[in-house]
Amino acid sequence: MIIQCRQLSKRYGSKNALDSISLALPAGDAIALIGPNGAGKSTLISVLCGFIGKSAGEVTVLGKEPGARTLIGQVAALPQDAQLDPRLGVGRQLRFLARLQGMSARDARLDVQRVLQTVDLADAEHSKPADLSHGMRKRIAIAQALLGSPRLILLDEPTAGIDPPNAKMIRELIREQSHSTTFVVSSHNLDELERLCATVVYLEQGRLVSVGPVMDDDAHGFVTLRLINTPEAEFVEAARALPGILSVSRITQGDYRIETTDDMLASVLLLQLLADRGWRYRQLSRGKSLEERLYGS
Amino acid sequence: MRVLLVARDEVLRLLSTRRGLLALLGFLLIWAAVLNYGILPAARFFTGASESGLSELVLPRLGLSEWQHWPAPALAVYWVVSLYLLPLMALITSADQTASERSRGTLRFLVLRCSRLEIFIGRFAGQCVIMGLVILATLASVLIVILAQSPVQFAASLAHSPVILINLVLLVLPYIALMAWVSVMARSARQATLYAVIIWLGVSLLVGFLQSRLGGLTILDWALPGSQVSQLLRLSGWQTLTLAPIPVIHTVVLLLIGGFLMGRRDL
Repeated sequence: MIIQCRQLSKRYGSKNALDSISLALPAGDAIALIGPNGAGKSTLISVLCGFIGKSAGEVTVLGKEPGARTLIGQVAALPQDAQLDPRLGVGRQLRFLARLQGMSARDARLDVQRVLQTVDLADAEHSKPADLSHGMRKRIAIAQALLGSPRLILLDEPTAGIDPPNAKMIRELIREQSHSTTFVVSSHNLDELERLCATVVYLEQGRLVSVGPVMDDDAHGFVTLRLINTPEAEFVEAARALPGILSVSRITQGDYRIETTDDMLASVLLLQLLADRGWRYRQLSRGKSLEERLYGS
Repeated sequence: MRVLLVARDEVLRLLSTRRGLLALLGFLLIWAAVLNYGILPAARFFTGASESGLSELVLPRLGLSEWQHWPAPALAVYWVVSLYLLPLMALITSADQTASERSRGTLRFLVLRCSRLEIFIGRFAGQCVIMGLVILATLASVLIVILAQSPVQFAASLAHSPVILINLVLLVLPYIALMAWVSVMARSARQATLYAVIIWLGVSLLVGFLQSRLGGLTILDWALPGSQVSQLLRLSGWQTLTLAPIPVIHTVVLLLIGGFLMGRRDL
């Protein structure tokens, strides 16, 4: 297991930021860490990184206590709101971090060039963070997490406050690196996590609500459909009339959850219906969306 | 190895930032003024006073009873000025060892790559190197002035320099260690300085209270960093190193407190 927690708790005074969390996460596909504000996501990442100590319970990362010397170079992170020194050059600071990881001066120089190229900021090596945009600074912070070859990278809201092109780049980067590194990604963007991650850890008020696959095991029973400018009442009535459709319910404007006996057959029939009526759709997916599963009725 | 890297980074950080360079420039200007308007006129005065026999009357009252053993009046005055000025300089320059890095979150990037104790000791060592260089530079400036005035006094002053250097470095160590400790608790250099003042006043008041209530606790006279300065003024040459254990003990105690807090503090 890459991360193991047993009855892990973290208290700030009388408030339980983490409340008896027990979970075991294997290495491999990316892991989503989700929950509303104050759920304990950042606290859990901070404990796993050794930034803060636990109040009770046990926690191991790659089989070691967080902060253990043997984890140097093995665990990397993008802590929430952490920034490099705005007054010093980006390259100089990244080389210093690489040297601390145990690289020689030459290896550090080469690796810094590599990670800056990976985040498409090779030109920023001689810039100071203060001269870069928020999105660029975030990508630099992600670049520091990619130094060396860590086995586990924890990213705390990597796309928060980032414009769509930069957010897309960060998502692609995580997807590309996922074959060699296990990512734990905390975010409020459930669509993003659904596309990136295979496992979802859901926290609420410091407690673990669920751990499981992002893909719905009961996918065969549901289809989620997103339509563009389609008359709602007409569509619901027509869809309900299709064979194998048990119910059609509106999630939000244009989004529908369709319960069916056979999702494959229902998908074909729904597409046929849309083609016949000239209604346009944006997305058709098996099962409920992650948002629906977590927060839907 | 990582301690050395952190220490080197601390030194380079001073030389790589505008704030650091301005601080250095500011100190150079202040030191030039101290040298030109303080040390040299005072040295000239004491040379004249020596010839008239006034020195025997005045200098021991200022605490400099061993002044006649110094090879050059300028070096003796430098010694007195440095004993009071350099601790102040150390407090100001070393106030932000880890404080702003903590508030910015940069410390989180570091603790993923080295232990908290390595960061703590590395930053302290870096500040010691910076203050060592400052002391070396000020001492060199005085030696150059002595060389220009009297080559005979210069040779003797040069021979005297190692013990001055060692003493002054030992003098500033506890002050840097104190700032290393308070920097762990603070979120900015200003806050660290405030904490240092509070601790200083608190310990002074506590020592005064204990001595007035219990009496005879002379060991408490040594509780604060720099408590050996008045004794140092009465000594000269290698005799001064008899007091070396005092700043070393202060430094070790302050580093132990700071290191303990650094290990426990949430980042």
